[in-house]
Amino acid sequence: MSSIGRAASDGVRRRYDSDLHETRTAAWLGIALGVTFGLCFATGLWSHLAQEPPTWFTYPARPAGLYRITQAVHVASGTAAIPLLLAKIWTVHPKLFVWPPASSVLNAVERLALLPLVAGGAFMLFSGIANVARWYPWSFFFPRAHFWVAWVTIGALVVHVGAKSAATWDVVRTRPPVAEPTNPNRRAFLGTVAATSVGLVVATIGGTVAWLSPVSVLAQRRPGQGPQGLPINKTAYSAKVTDLARRPDYRLQVVGNVDRPLRLSVDDLRALPQHEAELPIACVEGWSQSAHWRGVRVRDLLDHAGAADGTEVLVESLQPSGRYRASTLNHDHRTDPDTLLALELNGEPLHLDHGYPVRLVGPNRPGVLQTKWVSKLTVT
Amino acid sequence: MDETEETTSRTGLIIGLVLGLPIIAYGIGGALVDADDTSPRELATWVVGLGILDDFVVIPAALAVAWLARRVIPRRAWPPVRAGLFATAVLVAVAWPIVRGFGDDPHNPSLFPRNYTGGLLAALALVWLVVAAWLVVGRVRTEPRC
Repeated sequence: MSSIGRAASDGVRRRYDSDLHETRTAAWLGIALGVTFGLCFATGLWSHLAQEPPTWFTYPARPAGLYRITQAVHVASGTAAIPLLLAKIWTVHPKLFVWPPASSVLNAVERLALLPLVAGGAFMLFSGIANVARWYPWSFFFPRAHFWVAWVTIGALVVHVGAKSAATWDVVRTRPPVAEPTNPNRRAFLGTVAATSVGLVVATIGGTVAWLSPVSVLAQRRPGQGPQGLPINKTAYSAKVTDLARRPDYRLQVVGNVDRPLRLSVDDLRALPQHEAELPIACVEGWSQSAHWRGVRVRDLLDHAGAADGTEVLVESLQPSGRYRASTLNHDHRTDPDTLLALELNGEPLHLDHGYPVRLVGPNRPGVLQTKWVSKLTVT
Repeated sequence: MDETEETTSRTGLIIGLVLGLPIIAYGIGGALVDADDTSPRELATWVVGLGILDDFVVIPAALAVAWLARRVIPRRAWPPVRAGLFATAVLVAVAWPIVRGFGDDPHNPSLFPRNYTGGLLAALALVWLVVAAWLVVGRVRTEPRC
């Protein structure tokens, strides 16, 4: 038996009666985890940059469906990592009870770095699944907690990948030595884990991959299901705008760094040139669906108001409170021909839950930044 | 004495530490600075708690189930049955919050529009159908030829 068995003392080893607590199994699972966690981290960082862009970064408006793909990859790779992480921890479990716990200072540091890796990895996957289930059994703000623990987990992963790089490379490039023939049990086990990962993704991804929806029995959404054939995340009721949005004295304001501040009724907006665009709503929770929007181009409206060029635009909602009651349009987004203040969805006036009377919709934006029930544009 | 485990590359580990420790520090520092949103004490409890749950509850429970099952199930049937047990455990755990409707919002019918209990049961039925097929195919393959 290779090193995992040897590393554990005889007393410990006897309690693990499988022959899979060994380096080759651990290495293959490790590679799969490295790929899935790497994808999760890269796409998660991308989503963070979209939602909280630093000053040095301009989040692009194109390609229009990019966020839809990156966020689907984020949720799918995190979902796929669940069986992988469980199998990996099971495989190396005998090492937990190695005695003495460390053979050198360096070994002690290496083993200590496994704590943030295992605990952080477990937290990332658990909190991600809970978020998709919209279940928040804690008081912290999920995106921030998920974001900071991701750094801790990835840092620990970098340490671990460094430590195991040579051994993993050995496993990849060599066939098992003759003295240790190919283990059919290993193949069955790794096949089981891989099939469970794939099955889990298929069972959950139907909210964004419509053709898999019939078999995605655990998907949070169903494409086409929702008002006007499009799912929604925040209802008018939960945003407390049910009355505000329907008031006859509703006016959209365009203010700030403009020559002519505007106050427009819904009829005024309808009288302006209308533009149509096919754009997806892509939620951070992994579901997405394309829809047909019609409304006024933001850039036309800003030209109409004589807005200063090269500035950002703050888009505010009637929603009285909440973290996502406003969003910012950077230069890329405010000048894009498909960034609309939409009045219609799929050929009908917007449903109240989709942001009636006016909502923002633009290319390559996370759903939470497609501000609904828009009341004010401020050019800064 | 300065020896590490035999699967550990000393150079790789040192490079990993040089690159990885600042990233870990960035994450911990960020969570502390961002305390209003992250509630560091509660967050740490969740992170550590889930780590402990994994290592000292979930995996030992899996080991115990496997230990028992292997004493009841014929040796040849173990890989398919293990696959069934593993997939069942993962599916039930992932589906649980949605099946129980922990995050449901009665004002939003587009959220959780399916019968998730039925869906979970269907998925489990498929898993055990595959296990049964694997058992049958495995038996055919290993049958002695004359």
